[in-house]
Order: sequence, then structure tokens, then C-alpha cells
Amino acid sequence: MDLSLNGDQTQILDFIDSLTKPYAGVPMHDTSFALTSDELDCELVQNGFLDVMAVEELGAVTAALVVEKLARLPVSVESAFSALVRPIIDPELPRPICLVEEGRLTGPVRFLKPGASVVVVGANGVRSFTASAEMIAPAQEDTLYAYPVSFLTGLPNDMRKHDIAADEVLRQWRVALAAEAAGLLGAALDSITTYLSERKQFGRPLATFQALRHRLAETQVATNCVYWMALKAAGTGDPADAAMAALLAQEAAKRVGYDYHQLMGGMGMTLEHPMHLWTYRLKLLTAELGGRGGQALAAADAIWG
Amino acid sequence: MDFDWTTEQQAFRQSLKDFLAKNLPEDWEKFSEHGPASPALTRFAREFCGKLADNGMLFPHWPKEIGGEGLGPWEQQILAEEMWIAGEPRGGQYMNVNWIGPTLERYGTEEQKAQYLKPITDGATLWCQGFSEPDAGSDLASLRTRAELKDGNYVINGQKIWTSYAGLADTCFLLTRTSNDRKKGITILLVPMDTPGITVRQIPSLIGEGDIHEVFFDDVTVPESARFGEEGQAWEIIAYSLRNERLGIPRFYLARAALDRAVSILKVRGEFSGEIVRAEAARCAAMCEAAKTACYALVQKRVDGLAIGPESSSARYAVVQSERAVCEFVVEYVPEALAGASPYLKMHHQRGIVAGIASGAAEIQLNIIASEVLELPREPR
Ligand SMILES: Cc1cc2nc3c(=O)[nH]c(=O)nc-3n(C[C@H](O)[C@H](O)[C@H](O)COP(=O)(O)OP(=O)(O)OC[C@H]3O[C@@H](n4cnc5c(N)ncnc54)[C@H](O)[C@@H]3O)c2cc1C
Repeated sequence: MDLSLNGDQTQILDFIDSLTKPYAGVPMHDTSFALTSDELDCELVQNGFLDVMAVEELGAVTAALVVEKLARLPVSVESAFSALVRPIIDPELPRPICLVEEGRLTGPVRFLKPGASVVVVGANGVRSFTASAEMIAPAQEDTLYAYPVSFLTGLPNDMRKHDIAADEVLRQWRVALAAEAAGLLGAALDSITTYLSERKQFGRPLATFQALRHRLAETQVATNCVYWMALKAAGTGDPADAAMAALLAQEAAKRVGYDYHQLMGGMGMTLEHPMHLWTYRLKLLTAELGGRGGQALAAADAIWG
Repeated sequence: MDFDWTTEQQAFRQSLKDFLAKNLPEDWEKFSEHGPASPALTRFAREFCGKLADNGMLFPHWPKEIGGEGLGPWEQQILAEEMWIAGEPRGGQYMNVNWIGPTLERYGTEEQKAQYLKPITDGATLWCQGFSEPDAGSDLASLRTRAELKDGNYVINGQKIWTSYAGLADTCFLLTRTSNDRKKGITILLVPMDTPGITVRQIPSLIGEGDIHEVFFDDVTVPESARFGEEGQAWEIIAYSLRNERLGIPRFYLARAALDRAVSILKVRGEFSGEIVRAEAARCAAMCEAAKTACYALVQKRVDGLAIGPESSSARYAVVQSERAVCEFVVEYVPEALAGASPYLKMHHQRGIVAGIASGAAEIQLNIIASEVLELPREPR
């Protein structure tokens, strides 16, 4: 048992901090629903940050740490599936990576665009194809989610079959979901903490009211738990750990997605404050893989058969 | 980062399991229905802890200089887990080896060490912790039990409440007020429980016979040499000695075992196929696992020689939530457990329901997280 970051991990996280500094701030009065950056994406690829999982001394825990770190940014980059899932399917799959479940093709697909690798997971195994323009229906311009999303119009007839069990991919998908949620939860918590410490009503900061302090403290507990469970699930490769991590991630996301906007009052309804850039990613994550019920049943199967 | 136990750690855990299998009576499960502070368990623990001591398993985590084996925080955690999951056959003596012994070593006079350490390391003595009072619970620093120094003796008057183990304890680690200077006016006295003027009254409770007590002090007189540390040093000493106790009991471990037990009962009855019950059980398991992992992150800090700070309140709160979830699950799906059908689940329930109160209420943990982890501006006083 050793839960300390090793030297390599600390170094990588520090490096990412300095690399992403220019992207850490939110443009004032930005009114977009989702922020993306091709330059950042490019820099991450060039520096190999999305390929750490395959490096023997680094592995899946380091990949989860990278994903957590990147998710904290207001800009959304497709890191979770690339860093944590692609390596077990085919490390050469072109990015971005989009994962979809065979029976659930109607939902918005994150990062879907022409050229993306779409991996379909389900009863027929793990299959993939490269998305072309005619398979994609754009979402409406002002979709609320803080990820770029589009819809699939259908699946091609000939998909490439991968030699890996669907359950394996689902397991790692849950790890990716939890790691990404951990970072989003962490950044959203920082943001709400700052806001409530500064905003005054009744002559004192809102953060001095115990009714609000306790709500924040409870989400701190949940955020910390998701962080550790995501790392553990990455480290053990155990399907029960992965399902439990994803379950807790979705529970926390659901709560935070309501609470943090509520606690900001009218400001929480605006695009002026960046909160939505984290919460409206979290909200979409709550819908993934059948939602909390899906994760809970997967966990029950893994634990008790 | 590595989430697996080393071979040595696994072997250590196995040796504890083997010891327990050999030394717990056949009817232990029924027997351990008696709370950890019950007369029955206290009597049993005296003998059992003696055997642990003979086998080097009573305080292996103490540093070698004070007679331990010098094993690390992970081994201390494993020891705590295996004992707690077995129904804590050490009874109240777990406090001795977790913090009373090491605190005596550090702050005690030679006379106090000579008097108190050997019975602890022999596994033959029971202590109680006289902190809380009727008007000083969460606000411990407002305690009022008075100790006045008169002619070389302290004369104690006042009342303690919720004192675990008091009924059978040999000695009380007692917080008293020696001046009105709030935290700086509190002084520790080590008081033999057979001193005249002490009255112990059991409080009937939901958590088992003989567990919690009121303790009355009427002109209880002890020599000045019973003072532990200096006058007014109590707060500093308990902050130090309870530092490593901040994580508390590994409740998540028993909670998870209780959950597994409940699930196996449901399976036998063919009542574990519905999606709702399965999802609820999984949620409980996830909460136990999360609490465990949050606690382990703090054990790691101890391994790394770092002080455990307010983040322990966060882990503690996760533990409280996991206990609550499992207690509620059992009542909802295996209600007969609390009516005699499963001593083990009843035992868990009675230990589990106090998680959010004993050793610092859950809301106080939230206050600490808000002020010291999130560093929110303080509430006005
Ligand atoms: C099984 C058990 C064993 C115990 N053993 C011992 C022992 O051996 N020795 C000993 O000294 N004590 C012992 N205690 C006492 C324990 O430490 C106290 O019960 C605990 O500190 C809470 O104090 P209280 O019971 O007075 O509750 P109170 O302080 O009256 O609190 C009642 C409720 O109010 C909430 N509350 C209080 N203050 C605040 C605040 N500022 N903000 C928000 N909410 C607040 C609390 O969280 C709680 O929910 C034991 C308790 C139990 C249940």
C-alpha cells in the first residue's frame, strides 16, 4: 500500500500546470457554452501527456491523475478516453475518441466530429469506425453542455472489430468518467468557495452562514472521495472499484450540478460566471452508461455476482 | 501509488486472523453482542489482551524504544481493522494501546509510568476517558468539573457523562477545570476509579448494556502527583495524543462486512435479484470503499511522517455516511436482524449508529472542513 505521488507523477503534474497556465483563466464575460482549444490539445499530444498509461513506470494511475488535472481547466479537452481507454483498445486510434454504448445511440456524443474515432461497446463486442460528416448531426448552436457535442445519425455497416472484451472497455470507461469528474468537481468546488467567500449579504460573506458552509463541506467530502476512488479504480483495474468510483462520481455530480448554481443565486444563472463550464460537463457525465442506476447495478454484479 | 498490500502486510493480517480464529470462543458471535464496554466483554478482554501481549500482538505498532515492535501505521491500521471487524475483543483496551500508553510515555512522570504502563502492556487494565459533561459536549472547552489544589491534594467536584467503560475501568483520564481561562484552564488528572467520592451510574441505551455512564465526583481527593502534565496543559496534551486517533475506528471495515452479511442473507432467501435492492446495496458498498480510501490517504500521511490535519474530518464524515447507509440498508431489507435473527448485524447496528456522535459529532466535522479545509471565512461568534 502506498498512496503517495511518486517523483515522476509530481513532475508530470507540475509540468501540466505550467503548460496549461495560459488556459487556466476564463475570458471575462465569455458567453460561450463550451470552451475548447486546438492549441492546448496539440500541446498535450506533442508532450505525450495523453500516452502516459503505456509507460511502464507511469501506468493507469498516472493517466487518471493527468485526466483529473486537465478536467479542472475551464477549457474542455478530450483527454479521458484518449489517456485511459484508447491504450487498451488500440493506442493508434486517431483522436478524439468517442465512446458510445450499443443500445444507447441517441444521446449527445462528446467531441464527436469528422475524423473522430467512434468506439461502439456492447453485446457485439468492441467495434470502431472513423466518423465522417454524413454520420454526424450537429447539436443546436447553443446547447447547454460545456463539451462540444454532436449526434450520431447511425452506425456504418462495416466497423473494425477489436480484440478486447466489452466489459474491459466498460470498466476503463468508468475509470475515465470518475477521473474526469474528480477534476471537474475539484475545480467547481474551488470556484464556489471563492464566490461564497467574497459575495456579501446581510453585511457578511455568504460563506459565514452555516446552512451554506455545511453544504459546501459535504460536497468537499464527496469530491475527495471521488478523487481517491478514481485513482484506486485506475490502480487496481477491478471492475467493482470502477463501477463504485463512477457511481460516486455521478452522485456527486448530480448534487453539485444543482447546489453550486443555487448557492450563487442569479449569478449562477449567467454565462458571466464560469461555473457552468464545470457543472455542465458534470451534468452530461451523469447521463453516461445508464446513470447512477447503471453504475450501481454494475457494481452489484461485480461484487456479489 | 500502489493500492495492494505487500506480502508482509498480508502475512501480518493473516497472523491476526489465525490468532483470532484460535483464541475466540465458539459462540463468539453471539457473545460479542455484548457491547465493547459491557461487563462480559471487559472480563473476556482482560484475558484476551493478555494473550495478545504474550504473542506480541497487543502493541506491535509502538516504537521499539517503548517496547513495541516498531511496525508502521499500515500495520496499526490492519490491527485495528481485524480487531474491529471481529467485534473488538480487546474491549476498551484498544484505547490503552492506541493513545493512552504512548501519551503516558511522553508526558508522564517516572512514577506515573511505573504505576500505569505495565498493566497496559500486560493487557490487564481498563481506562476510561472523562471528557464530556452534561453541558460540555461538542463545546468541550466549556467543561466545569472543578479540581482545586488544597494542601498537596486535588479535590474534584463535578460530573462527567457518556463515559464509556467507566463502570469497570481502573483509571480515569480526567479533564478538570483548574482556572477559568477556557482551554488554558483545563488540567488532566489520572484518577483511580476506586477513589472514595466517585459514583458511576449506567445510562440505559440503544447501544448495549453497560456502555455509557454518568460519573459523579464529590470531594474526590487525589494527590498532586496524579496531575498529568502541568496545570492548563490538558488541551495541548490531548491534541497531541489524539492526533493519531483522528482517523478513529476503522468503521468502514465492519460496515462493509455487515453489508456482505446482509446480502448473503438476502441471497439465501432469493431476495437479492431486484434492481432496487442491488443498487442500494452497491451504493452502500461504494460509500464504505470511499470512506476506506479517504482514510487510507491519511494513513499514508502518517507513513510519510506528515501530520494529519483537518482533512481527517473529511474522511471521518465519509465514514459516518457509510455507517448510516449500511445501518439503514439492514433495517430496511433485513429487519429481523435487530430482533435477534443476526447477532452480528445487531452488533454492527449498535456500533454503527453512534458513528456520527461519539468522538466529535458529524456536524462539528463539517464545521472543521468549512473553516480549515475550505478555509471559508469564519462564522460570527
Ligand atoms: C457511544 C458514545 C460513547 C462516548 N464515549 C465517551 C467517552 O468515553 N468519554 C467522553 O468524554 N465522551 C464520550 N462520548 C461523548 C461524545 O464525545 C459526545 O456525545 C459528543 O462530543 C457530542 O456531544 P453531545 O452529546 O453533548 O451533543 P451536543 O454537543 O449537544 O450536540 C447535539 C447536536 O448538535 C450539533 N451541534 C453542536 N454544536 C454545533 C455547532 N456548533 N454547529 C452545528 N451543530 C452543532 C451536534 O453536531 C449534534 O448533532 C461518547 C458518546 C457516545 C455516543
